[in-house]
Amino acid sequence: MHPPHRLEFRGLTKRFGPVAAVTGLTFDVEPGRVTGFLGPNGSGKTTTLRMLLGLVAPDAGTARIGGRGYRDLPEPARTVGAVLEASNFHPARTGRDHLRVYADMLGAPAARIELVLALTGIADAAHRKAGGYSTGMRQRLNLATALLGDPPVLVLDEPTNGLDPEGIAWLRRLLRDLAAEGRTVLVASHVLSEAERLVDDVVVMHRGELLTAGALDALTADGTGLEQAFLRLTGAAA
Amino acid sequence: MNRLVRAELRRLFSTPLWRWGPPVAVLSGGALTATAVLVGPEHFDPPMPGMDTEAGVRLVISMIGLTVLAPALFGALAVTSEYRHRTITYTFLFAPRRHRVLAAKLAAYALAGNGYGLIVAVSAAAALYGGAAARGVDVGAPVGTVIGLLASLAAAMTVYTVIGVGVGALLRDQTATLAVLGAYLYMVEHLLVLIPGVGAVYPFLPGGATAALTQASLMGEAAVEVTGSAATLLPPALGAAVLLAYAVLAAGAAVLLPMRRDVT
Repeated sequence: MHPPHRLEFRGLTKRFGPVAAVTGLTFDVEPGRVTGFLGPNGSGKTTTLRMLLGLVAPDAGTARIGGRGYRDLPEPARTVGAVLEASNFHPARTGRDHLRVYADMLGAPAARIELVLALTGIADAAHRKAGGYSTGMRQRLNLATALLGDPPVLVLDEPTNGLDPEGIAWLRRLLRDLAAEGRTVLVASHVLSEAERLVDDVVVMHRGELLTAGALDALTADGTGLEQAFLRLTGAAA
Repeated sequence: MNRLVRAELRRLFSTPLWRWGPPVAVLSGGALTATAVLVGPEHFDPPMPGMDTEAGVRLVISMIGLTVLAPALFGALAVTSEYRHRTITYTFLFAPRRHRVLAAKLAAYALAGNGYGLIVAVSAAAALYGGAAARGVDVGAPVGTVIGLLASLAAAMTVYTVIGVGVGALLRDQTATLAVLGAYLYMVEHLLVLIPGVGAVYPFLPGGATAALTQASLMGEAAVEVTGSAATLLPPALGAAVLLAYAVLAAGAAVLLPMRRDVT
Protein backbone atom coordinates (compact mmCIF):
# COMPACT_ATOMS: atom_id res chain seq x y z
CA MET A 1 0.00 0.00 0.00
CA HIS A 2 1.06 3.59 -0.63
CA PRO A 3 1.95 5.89 2.27
CA PRO A 4 -0.96 7.71 3.96
CA HIS A 5 -2.56 10.52 1.99
CA ARG A 6 -4.29 13.63 3.35
CA LEU A 7 -7.16 15.09 1.30
CA GLU A 8 -7.04 18.88 0.98
CA PHE A 9 -9.92 20.96 -0.32
CA ARG A 10 -9.13 24.65 -0.87
CA GLY A 11 -11.74 27.19 -1.96
CA LEU A 12 -13.52 24.59 -4.07
CA THR A 13 -16.36 26.14 -6.06
CA LYS A 14 -18.76 24.83 -8.72
CA ARG A 15 -21.85 26.27 -10.34
CA PHE A 16 -24.28 24.38 -12.56
CA GLY A 17 -25.98 27.20 -14.47
CA PRO A 18 -27.82 29.32 -11.92
CA VAL A 19 -27.25 26.81 -9.10
CA ALA A 20 -24.26 27.34 -6.80
CA ALA A 21 -23.58 23.67 -6.03
CA VAL A 22 -20.43 24.21 -3.96
CA THR A 23 -19.03 27.53 -2.75
CA GLY A 24 -15.56 28.22 -1.33
CA LEU A 25 -15.20 24.83 0.32
CA THR A 26 -12.03 24.44 2.44
CA PHE A 27 -11.25 21.50 4.75
CA ASP A 28 -8.82 18.60 5.25
CA VAL A 29 -9.43 14.88 5.67
CA GLU A 30 -6.82 13.05 7.74
CA PRO A 31 -5.43 9.55 7.19
CA GLY A 32 -6.07 6.83 9.76
CA ARG A 33 -9.56 8.11 10.57
CA VAL A 34 -13.06 7.67 9.22
CA THR A 35 -14.42 11.06 8.24
CA GLY A 36 -18.14 11.57 7.77
CA PHE A 37 -19.05 14.00 5.00
CA LEU A 38 -22.50 15.01 6.13
CA GLY A 39 -25.32 17.15 4.91
CA PRO A 40 -28.83 16.89 3.53
CA ASN A 41 -29.48 15.69 -0.02
CA GLY A 42 -28.51 18.41 -2.47
CA SER A 43 -26.02 20.07 -0.12
CA GLY A 44 -23.13 19.59 -2.58
CA LYS A 45 -21.44 16.48 -1.17
CA THR A 46 -21.54 14.43 -4.37
CA THR A 47 -20.35 17.35 -6.51
CA THR A 48 -17.45 17.85 -4.09
CA LEU A 49 -16.46 14.20 -4.31
CA ARG A 50 -16.69 14.27 -8.11
CA MET A 51 -14.43 17.32 -8.20
CA LEU A 52 -11.95 15.51 -5.92
CA LEU A 53 -11.92 12.60 -8.37
CA GLY A 54 -11.54 14.58 -11.58
CA LEU A 55 -15.02 13.75 -12.88
CA VAL A 56 -16.30 17.32 -12.55
CA ALA A 57 -14.09 20.33 -13.25
CA PRO A 58 -14.25 22.98 -10.48
CA ASP A 59 -14.90 26.60 -11.44
CA ALA A 60 -12.40 27.65 -8.76
CA GLY A 61 -10.27 26.13 -6.03
CA THR A 62 -8.47 22.80 -5.76
CA ALA A 63 -9.00 19.35 -4.31
CA ARG A 64 -5.78 17.42 -3.73
CA ILE A 65 -4.89 13.91 -2.66
CA GLY A 66 -1.48 13.72 -0.98
CA GLY A 67 -0.65 17.05 -2.59
CA ARG A 68 -1.72 16.17 -6.15
CA GLY A 69 -4.85 16.49 -8.23
CA TYR A 70 -6.51 13.15 -9.01
CA ARG A 71 -5.57 13.22 -12.70
CA ASP A 72 -1.94 13.95 -11.79
CA LEU A 73 -1.59 10.94 -9.49
CA PRO A 74 0.89 8.43 -10.94
CA GLU A 75 -1.52 5.57 -10.19
CA PRO A 76 -4.94 7.09 -9.47
CA ALA A 77 -6.93 3.87 -8.98
CA ARG A 78 -4.20 2.42 -6.77
CA THR A 79 -4.33 5.60 -4.67
CA VAL A 80 -8.08 6.22 -4.34
CA GLY A 81 -10.89 3.67 -4.33
CA ALA A 82 -14.26 5.29 -4.87
CA VAL A 83 -17.91 4.30 -4.72
CA LEU A 84 -20.05 7.07 -6.14
CA GLU A 85 -23.31 5.50 -7.25
CA ALA A 86 -25.50 2.60 -6.26
CA SER A 87 -25.11 0.86 -9.61
CA ASN A 88 -22.29 1.30 -12.10
CA PHE A 89 -22.55 -2.08 -13.74
CA HIS A 90 -23.53 -3.45 -17.11
CA PRO A 91 -26.50 -5.67 -16.22
CA ALA A 92 -25.41 -8.46 -18.58
CA ARG A 93 -21.83 -8.68 -17.25
CA THR A 94 -21.07 -10.97 -14.32
CA GLY A 95 -19.67 -9.53 -11.10
CA ARG A 96 -16.34 -11.26 -11.70
CA ASP A 97 -16.10 -10.02 -15.30
CA HIS A 98 -16.88 -6.49 -14.12
CA LEU A 99 -13.93 -6.73 -11.76
CA ARG A 100 -11.77 -8.29 -14.50
CA VAL A 101 -12.32 -5.28 -16.78
CA TYR A 102 -11.09 -2.89 -14.11
CA ALA A 103 -8.32 -5.23 -12.95
CA ASP A 104 -7.13 -5.17 -16.57
CA MET A 105 -7.10 -1.37 -16.49
CA LEU A 106 -5.03 -1.48 -13.29
CA GLY A 107 -2.81 -4.36 -14.30
CA ALA A 108 -3.94 -6.19 -11.13
CA PRO A 109 -3.59 -10.00 -11.04
CA ALA A 110 -6.55 -12.42 -10.98
CA ALA A 111 -5.74 -13.30 -7.35
CA ARG A 112 -6.61 -9.74 -6.34
CA ILE A 113 -10.10 -10.16 -7.83
CA GLU A 114 -10.73 -13.27 -5.75
CA LEU A 115 -9.39 -11.49 -2.68
CA VAL A 116 -11.74 -8.48 -2.95
CA LEU A 117 -14.66 -10.80 -3.76
CA ALA A 118 -13.95 -12.73 -0.56
CA LEU A 119 -13.40 -9.53 1.44
CA THR A 120 -16.78 -8.12 0.38
CA GLY A 121 -18.59 -11.43 0.77
CA ILE A 122 -19.89 -11.82 -2.80
CA ALA A 123 -17.60 -14.61 -4.07
CA ASP A 124 -20.58 -16.97 -4.35
CA ALA A 125 -22.47 -14.50 -6.56
CA ALA A 126 -19.49 -13.51 -8.74
CA HIS A 127 -20.52 -15.80 -11.61
CA ARG A 128 -23.96 -14.20 -11.81
CA LYS A 129 -24.92 -11.22 -13.96
CA ALA A 130 -24.85 -7.94 -12.04
CA GLY A 131 -28.32 -7.07 -13.34
CA GLY A 132 -29.72 -9.70 -10.97
CA TYR A 133 -27.93 -8.41 -7.89
CA SER A 134 -29.81 -6.97 -4.93
CA THR A 135 -29.02 -3.38 -3.93
CA GLY A 136 -26.90 -4.68 -1.05
CA MET A 137 -24.90 -6.94 -3.38
CA ARG A 138 -24.35 -4.03 -5.76
CA GLN A 139 -22.94 -1.98 -2.91
CA ARG A 140 -20.59 -4.85 -2.08
CA LEU A 141 -19.52 -5.14 -5.73
CA ASN A 142 -18.94 -1.37 -5.72
CA LEU A 143 -16.71 -1.76 -2.67
CA ALA A 144 -14.89 -4.68 -4.28
CA THR A 145 -14.20 -2.47 -7.33
CA ALA A 146 -12.95 0.34 -5.09
CA LEU A 147 -10.64 -2.03 -3.23
CA LEU A 148 -9.13 -3.61 -6.38
CA GLY A 149 -6.10 -1.33 -6.28
CA ASP A 150 -5.56 -1.73 -2.49
CA PRO A 151 -5.80 2.07 -2.23
CA PRO A 152 -4.69 4.14 0.80
CA VAL A 153 -7.71 6.42 0.28
CA LEU A 154 -11.37 5.39 0.16
CA VAL A 155 -14.11 7.77 -0.91
CA LEU A 156 -17.64 6.45 -0.52
CA ASP A 157 -20.88 8.26 -1.38
CA GLU A 158 -23.84 6.96 0.62
CA PRO A 159 -22.40 3.42 0.87
CA THR A 160 -25.08 2.21 3.32
CA ASN A 161 -27.94 2.84 0.84
CA GLY A 162 -29.65 -0.50 0.28
CA LEU A 163 -27.68 -2.37 2.94
CA ASP A 164 -29.60 -4.29 5.58
CA PRO A 165 -28.69 -3.84 9.27
CA GLU A 166 -26.27 -6.76 9.07
CA GLY A 167 -24.65 -5.24 6.00
CA ILE A 168 -24.34 -1.86 7.69
CA ALA A 169 -22.65 -3.47 10.71
CA TRP A 170 -20.30 -5.32 8.34
CA LEU A 171 -19.46 -2.11 6.46
CA ARG A 172 -18.80 -0.31 9.75
CA ARG A 173 -16.29 -2.98 10.79
CA LEU A 174 -14.66 -2.99 7.36
CA LEU A 175 -14.20 0.79 7.24
CA ARG A 176 -12.92 0.84 10.84
CA ASP A 177 -10.36 -1.84 9.97
CA LEU A 178 -9.29 0.01 6.83
CA ALA A 179 -8.83 3.27 8.76
CA ALA A 180 -6.91 1.38 11.48
CA GLU A 181 -4.46 0.34 8.75
CA GLY A 182 -3.70 4.02 8.19
CA ARG A 183 -6.01 4.61 5.23
CA THR A 184 -7.96 7.78 4.68
CA VAL A 185 -11.69 7.01 4.67
CA LEU A 186 -14.20 9.67 3.60
CA VAL A 187 -17.86 8.64 3.77
CA ALA A 188 -20.60 10.93 2.51
CA SER A 189 -23.97 10.33 4.12
CA HIS A 190 -27.23 12.04 4.90
CA VAL A 191 -28.17 9.41 7.49
CA LEU A 192 -26.80 10.97 10.68
CA SER A 193 -27.73 8.14 13.04
CA GLU A 194 -25.59 5.74 11.02
CA ALA A 195 -22.76 8.20 10.58
CA GLU A 196 -22.57 8.84 14.31
CA ARG A 197 -21.68 5.20 14.95
CA LEU A 198 -19.10 5.06 12.19
CA VAL A 199 -17.03 8.22 12.03
CA ASP A 200 -14.18 9.85 13.98
CA ASP A 201 -14.34 13.22 12.26
CA VAL A 202 -17.15 15.12 10.61
CA VAL A 203 -17.38 17.65 7.81
CA VAL A 204 -20.84 19.20 7.61
CA MET A 205 -22.15 20.87 4.46
CA HIS A 206 -25.30 22.88 3.97
CA ARG A 207 -26.43 24.55 0.74
CA GLY A 208 -23.03 24.11 -0.87
CA GLU A 209 -21.06 25.66 1.97
CA LEU A 210 -19.04 24.27 4.87
CA LEU A 211 -20.80 24.53 8.21
CA THR A 212 -18.20 22.88 10.38
CA ALA A 213 -15.31 20.41 10.28
CA GLY A 214 -13.62 18.63 13.16
CA ALA A 215 -13.72 15.69 15.54
CA LEU A 216 -17.14 14.14 16.19
CA ASP A 217 -16.43 14.23 19.92
CA ALA A 218 -15.95 17.99 19.87
CA LEU A 219 -19.16 18.56 17.92
CA THR A 220 -21.23 16.46 20.30
CA ALA A 221 -19.35 17.46 23.50
CA ASP A 222 -22.45 19.01 25.07
CA GLY A 223 -23.97 15.55 25.33
CA THR A 224 -26.43 15.97 22.49
CA GLY A 225 -26.16 13.61 19.56
CA LEU A 226 -24.96 14.36 16.05
CA GLU A 227 -28.50 14.93 14.85
CA GLN A 228 -29.13 17.65 17.43
CA ALA A 229 -25.76 19.22 16.70
CA PHE A 230 -26.53 19.15 12.99
CA LEU A 231 -29.96 20.72 13.44
CA ARG A 232 -28.43 23.38 15.66
CA LEU A 233 -25.83 24.18 13.00
CA THR A 234 -28.22 24.21 10.05
CA GLY A 235 -30.72 26.18 12.11
CA ALA A 236 -28.04 28.78 12.73
CA ALA A 237 -27.21 28.81 9.05
CA ALA A 238 -30.81 29.18 7.90
CA MET B 1 -0.92 -5.54 -25.20
CA ASN B 2 -1.75 -2.20 -23.68
CA ARG B 3 -3.73 -2.59 -20.42
CA LEU B 4 -6.52 -0.31 -21.54
CA VAL B 5 -6.97 -2.04 -24.92
CA ARG B 6 -7.05 -5.39 -23.15
CA ALA B 7 -9.69 -4.02 -20.75
CA GLU B 8 -11.79 -2.75 -23.67
CA LEU B 9 -11.63 -6.12 -25.42
CA ARG B 10 -12.60 -7.77 -22.12
CA ARG B 11 -15.47 -5.29 -21.77
CA LEU B 12 -16.63 -6.10 -25.30
CA PHE B 13 -16.47 -9.88 -25.00
CA SER B 14 -17.90 -10.14 -21.45
CA THR B 15 -21.48 -9.28 -22.43
CA PRO B 16 -23.51 -11.43 -24.87
CA LEU B 17 -23.97 -8.63 -27.44
CA TRP B 18 -20.87 -9.47 -29.50
CA ARG B 19 -22.35 -12.88 -30.32
CA TRP B 20 -24.70 -11.10 -32.73
CA GLY B 21 -21.66 -9.90 -34.71
CA PRO B 22 -20.73 -13.07 -36.67
CA PRO B 23 -24.32 -13.96 -37.70
CA VAL B 24 -25.02 -10.36 -38.76
CA ALA B 25 -21.73 -10.40 -40.74
CA VAL B 26 -22.76 -13.60 -42.53
CA LEU B 27 -26.20 -12.10 -43.28
CA SER B 28 -24.65 -8.84 -44.56
CA GLY B 29 -21.99 -10.59 -46.64
CA GLY B 30 -23.00 -14.16 -47.43
CA ALA B 31 -26.79 -14.08 -47.37
CA LEU B 32 -27.13 -10.76 -49.21
CA THR B 33 -24.62 -11.78 -51.91
CA ALA B 34 -26.14 -15.26 -52.28
CA THR B 35 -29.59 -13.75 -52.78
CA ALA B 36 -28.32 -11.26 -55.39
CA VAL B 37 -26.33 -13.93 -57.26
CA LEU B 38 -29.14 -16.51 -57.23
CA VAL B 39 -31.74 -14.00 -58.38
CA GLY B 40 -29.25 -12.56 -60.88
CA PRO B 41 -28.81 -8.81 -61.39
CA GLU B 42 -30.18 -9.24 -64.92
CA HIS B 43 -33.52 -10.13 -63.32
CA PHE B 44 -33.54 -7.04 -61.04
CA ASP B 45 -36.17 -4.42 -61.75
CA PRO B 46 -34.85 -2.47 -63.63
CA PRO B 47 -32.50 -5.10 -65.10
CA MET B 48 -28.80 -4.65 -64.29
CA PRO B 49 -25.71 -6.16 -65.95
CA GLY B 50 -25.52 -9.94 -65.38
CA MET B 51 -23.12 -11.90 -63.22
CA ASP B 52 -21.06 -12.84 -66.26
CA THR B 53 -19.98 -9.18 -66.63
CA GLU B 54 -17.54 -7.30 -64.37
CA ALA B 55 -20.14 -4.53 -63.94
CA GLY B 56 -22.62 -7.12 -62.64
CA VAL B 57 -20.10 -8.57 -60.19
CA ARG B 58 -19.20 -5.08 -58.94
CA LEU B 59 -22.88 -4.23 -58.49
CA VAL B 60 -23.58 -7.39 -56.49
CA ILE B 61 -20.54 -6.84 -54.25
CA SER B 62 -21.34 -3.14 -53.86
CA MET B 63 -24.64 -4.08 -52.23
CA ILE B 64 -22.64 -5.10 -49.14
CA GLY B 65 -21.89 -1.39 -48.78
CA LEU B 66 -25.57 -0.91 -47.88
CA THR B 67 -25.05 -2.84 -44.65
CA VAL B 68 -22.48 -0.51 -43.03
CA LEU B 69 -25.06 0.58 -40.47
CA ALA B 70 -24.39 -2.64 -38.53
CA PRO B 71 -20.69 -1.98 -37.76
CA ALA B 72 -21.46 1.73 -37.19
CA LEU B 73 -24.11 0.88 -34.57
CA PHE B 74 -21.77 -1.67 -33.01
CA GLY B 75 -19.00 0.95 -32.75
CA ALA B 76 -21.41 3.47 -31.25
CA LEU B 77 -22.01 1.14 -28.32
CA ALA B 78 -18.36 1.53 -27.23
CA VAL B 79 -19.17 4.82 -25.53
CA THR B 80 -22.98 5.01 -25.36
CA SER B 81 -23.24 1.74 -23.44
CA GLU B 82 -20.85 3.12 -20.81
CA TYR B 83 -23.03 6.19 -20.29
CA ARG B 84 -26.23 4.18 -20.35
CA HIS B 85 -25.10 1.79 -17.64
CA ARG B 86 -23.09 4.44 -15.78
CA THR B 87 -19.91 2.38 -16.01
CA ILE B 88 -18.24 5.49 -17.45
CA THR B 89 -17.78 6.72 -13.86
CA TYR B 90 -15.55 3.78 -12.97
CA THR B 91 -13.84 3.87 -16.35
CA PHE B 92 -12.78 7.51 -15.94
CA LEU B 93 -11.85 6.88 -12.28
CA PHE B 94 -9.54 4.06 -13.33
CA ALA B 95 -8.13 6.08 -16.25
CA PRO B 96 -8.66 9.80 -15.55
CA ARG B 97 -6.61 10.73 -18.64
CA ARG B 98 -9.73 10.19 -20.70
CA HIS B 99 -8.15 10.40 -24.13
CA ARG B 100 -6.31 7.16 -23.34
CA VAL B 101 -9.60 5.36 -22.66
CA LEU B 102 -11.05 6.59 -25.94
CA ALA B 103 -7.88 5.69 -27.86
CA ALA B 104 -8.08 2.18 -26.35
CA LYS B 105 -11.75 1.91 -27.33
CA LEU B 106 -10.91 2.95 -30.90
CA ALA B 107 -8.13 0.35 -31.09
CA ALA B 108 -10.28 -2.44 -29.61
CA TYR B 109 -13.27 -1.64 -31.80
CA ALA B 110 -11.12 -1.27 -34.92
CA LEU B 111 -9.81 -4.78 -34.22
CA ALA B 112 -13.32 -6.11 -33.71
CA GLY B 113 -14.60 -4.22 -36.79
CA ASN B 114 -11.79 -5.75 -38.79
CA GLY B 115 -12.87 -9.24 -37.67
CA TYR B 116 -16.45 -8.40 -38.61
CA GLY B 117 -15.31 -7.18 -42.04
CA LEU B 118 -13.32 -10.35 -42.57
CA ILE B 119 -16.36 -12.54 -41.90
CA VAL B 120 -18.42 -10.36 -44.27
CA ALA B 121 -15.78 -10.69 -47.02
CA VAL B 122 -15.17 -14.43 -46.66
CA SER B 123 -18.88 -15.29 -46.50
CA ALA B 124 -19.56 -13.00 -49.49
CA ALA B 125 -16.79 -14.70 -51.52
CA ALA B 126 -18.21 -18.12 -50.69
CA ALA B 127 -21.71 -16.95 -51.65
CA LEU B 128 -20.49 -15.30 -54.87
CA TYR B 129 -18.65 -18.33 -56.23
CA GLY B 130 -21.02 -20.87 -54.68
CA GLY B 131 -24.09 -19.08 -56.01
CA ALA B 132 -22.58 -18.65 -59.50
CA ALA B 133 -21.64 -22.36 -59.59
CA ALA B 134 -25.14 -23.33 -58.47
CA ARG B 135 -26.67 -21.24 -61.27
CA GLY B 136 -24.07 -22.44 -63.75
CA VAL B 137 -22.95 -18.91 -64.68
CA ASP B 138 -19.40 -17.56 -64.85
CA VAL B 139 -18.20 -14.87 -62.47
CA GLY B 140 -17.43 -12.06 -64.89
CA ALA B 141 -14.53 -10.57 -62.96
CA PRO B 142 -11.01 -11.92 -62.32
CA VAL B 143 -10.44 -13.49 -58.86
CA GLY B 144 -7.89 -10.77 -58.06
CA THR B 145 -10.50 -8.06 -58.70
CA VAL B 146 -13.08 -9.83 -56.51
CA ILE B 147 -10.56 -10.21 -53.68
CA GLY B 148 -9.59 -6.54 -53.98
CA LEU B 149 -13.23 -5.40 -53.87
CA LEU B 150 -14.09 -7.58 -50.88
CA ALA B 151 -10.92 -6.57 -49.02
CA SER B 152 -11.73 -2.90 -49.50
CA LEU B 153 -15.29 -3.47 -48.23
CA ALA B 154 -13.89 -5.36 -45.22
CA ALA B 155 -11.67 -2.34 -44.51
CA ALA B 156 -14.73 -0.09 -44.92
CA MET B 157 -16.47 -2.07 -42.15
CA THR B 158 -13.55 -1.19 -39.85
CA VAL B 159 -13.86 2.45 -40.87
CA TYR B 160 -17.60 2.52 -40.11
CA THR B 161 -16.96 0.90 -36.73
CA VAL B 162 -14.53 3.71 -35.92
CA ILE B 163 -17.03 6.31 -37.21
CA GLY B 164 -19.61 4.72 -34.88
CA VAL B 165 -17.26 5.08 -31.90
CA GLY B 166 -16.80 8.76 -32.76
CA VAL B 167 -20.52 9.50 -33.19
CA GLY B 168 -21.26 7.64 -29.94
CA ALA B 169 -18.63 9.70 -28.10
CA LEU B 170 -20.15 12.86 -29.57
CA LEU B 171 -23.78 12.13 -28.66
CA ARG B 172 -23.34 9.75 -25.67
CA ASP B 173 -27.06 8.92 -25.59
CA GLN B 174 -27.59 5.42 -26.97
CA THR B 175 -31.03 5.90 -28.52
CA ALA B 176 -30.10 9.25 -30.07
CA THR B 177 -26.91 7.78 -31.57
CA LEU B 178 -28.72 4.80 -33.07
CA ALA B 179 -31.40 7.09 -34.50
CA VAL B 180 -28.91 9.57 -35.97
CA LEU B 181 -26.73 6.88 -37.56
CA GLY B 182 -29.75 5.02 -38.95
CA ALA B 183 -31.43 8.16 -40.28
CA TYR B 184 -28.23 9.45 -41.84
CA LEU B 185 -27.09 6.23 -43.51
CA TYR B 186 -30.53 5.13 -44.73
CA MET B 187 -32.35 8.39 -45.35
CA VAL B 188 -30.26 11.53 -45.62
CA GLU B 189 -27.59 10.17 -47.98
CA HIS B 190 -30.16 8.51 -50.21
CA LEU B 191 -32.27 11.64 -50.40
CA LEU B 192 -29.20 13.70 -51.31
CA VAL B 193 -28.50 11.40 -54.26
CA LEU B 194 -31.97 12.09 -55.60
CA ILE B 195 -31.82 15.89 -55.30
CA PRO B 196 -30.48 17.35 -58.56
CA GLY B 197 -27.38 19.47 -57.98
CA VAL B 198 -26.98 18.46 -54.35
CA GLY B 199 -25.95 15.05 -55.70
CA ALA B 200 -22.59 16.62 -56.54
CA VAL B 201 -21.48 16.27 -52.90
CA TYR B 202 -22.54 12.61 -52.76
CA PRO B 203 -19.12 11.23 -53.86
CA PHE B 204 -17.58 12.93 -50.82
CA LEU B 205 -20.13 11.59 -48.32
CA PRO B 206 -19.38 8.29 -46.53
CA GLY B 207 -21.88 6.40 -48.72
CA GLY B 208 -20.45 7.83 -51.95
CA ALA B 209 -16.90 7.08 -50.84
CA THR B 210 -17.95 3.50 -50.00
CA ALA B 211 -19.55 3.11 -53.44
CA ALA B 212 -16.29 4.41 -54.98
CA LEU B 213 -14.49 1.37 -53.55
CA THR B 214 -16.49 -0.95 -55.84
CA GLN B 215 -17.17 1.65 -58.56
CA ALA B 216 -20.82 0.65 -58.40
CA SER B 217 -23.84 1.60 -56.35
CA LEU B 218 -27.38 0.41 -56.36
CA MET B 219 -28.40 3.86 -55.12
CA GLY B 220 -26.50 5.43 -58.01
CA GLU B 221 -28.36 3.21 -60.46
CA ALA B 222 -31.66 4.13 -58.80
CA ALA B 223 -30.73 7.81 -59.05
CA VAL B 224 -30.22 7.39 -62.78
CA GLU B 225 -33.73 5.96 -62.98
CA VAL B 226 -35.23 8.87 -61.05
CA THR B 227 -33.17 11.87 -62.13
CA GLY B 228 -31.76 10.63 -65.42
CA SER B 229 -28.22 11.50 -64.39
CA ALA B 230 -25.72 9.44 -62.47
CA ALA B 231 -23.67 10.80 -59.59
CA THR B 232 -20.03 10.42 -60.57
CA LEU B 233 -18.02 8.42 -58.09
CA LEU B 234 -14.46 9.18 -57.02
CA PRO B 235 -11.71 6.78 -58.13
CA PRO B 236 -11.37 3.86 -55.63
CA ALA B 237 -8.14 5.15 -54.04
CA LEU B 238 -9.64 8.60 -53.51
CA GLY B 239 -12.83 7.04 -52.13
CA ALA B 240 -10.70 5.08 -49.67
CA ALA B 241 -8.88 8.27 -48.70
CA VAL B 242 -12.19 10.08 -48.09
CA LEU B 243 -13.44 7.19 -45.92
CA LEU B 244 -10.17 7.19 -44.01
CA ALA B 245 -10.52 10.93 -43.47
CA TYR B 246 -13.97 10.37 -41.93
CA ALA B 247 -12.45 7.70 -39.66
CA VAL B 248 -9.68 10.10 -38.58
CA LEU B 249 -12.26 12.83 -37.97
CA ALA B 250 -14.44 10.48 -35.91
CA ALA B 251 -11.44 9.17 -33.96
CA GLY B 252 -10.31 12.74 -33.28
CA ALA B 253 -13.77 13.66 -32.03
CA ALA B 254 -13.90 10.55 -29.85
CA VAL B 255 -10.55 11.30 -28.24
CA LEU B 256 -11.01 15.05 -27.77
CA LEU B 257 -14.70 15.44 -26.85
CA PRO B 258 -14.85 13.70 -23.45
CA MET B 259 -11.81 15.61 -22.13
CA ARG B 260 -13.56 18.50 -20.42
CA ARG B 261 -17.08 17.22 -20.01
CA ASP B 262 -18.32 16.82 -16.45
CA VAL B 263 -19.42 13.30 -15.50
CA THR B 264 -22.23 14.04 -13.07
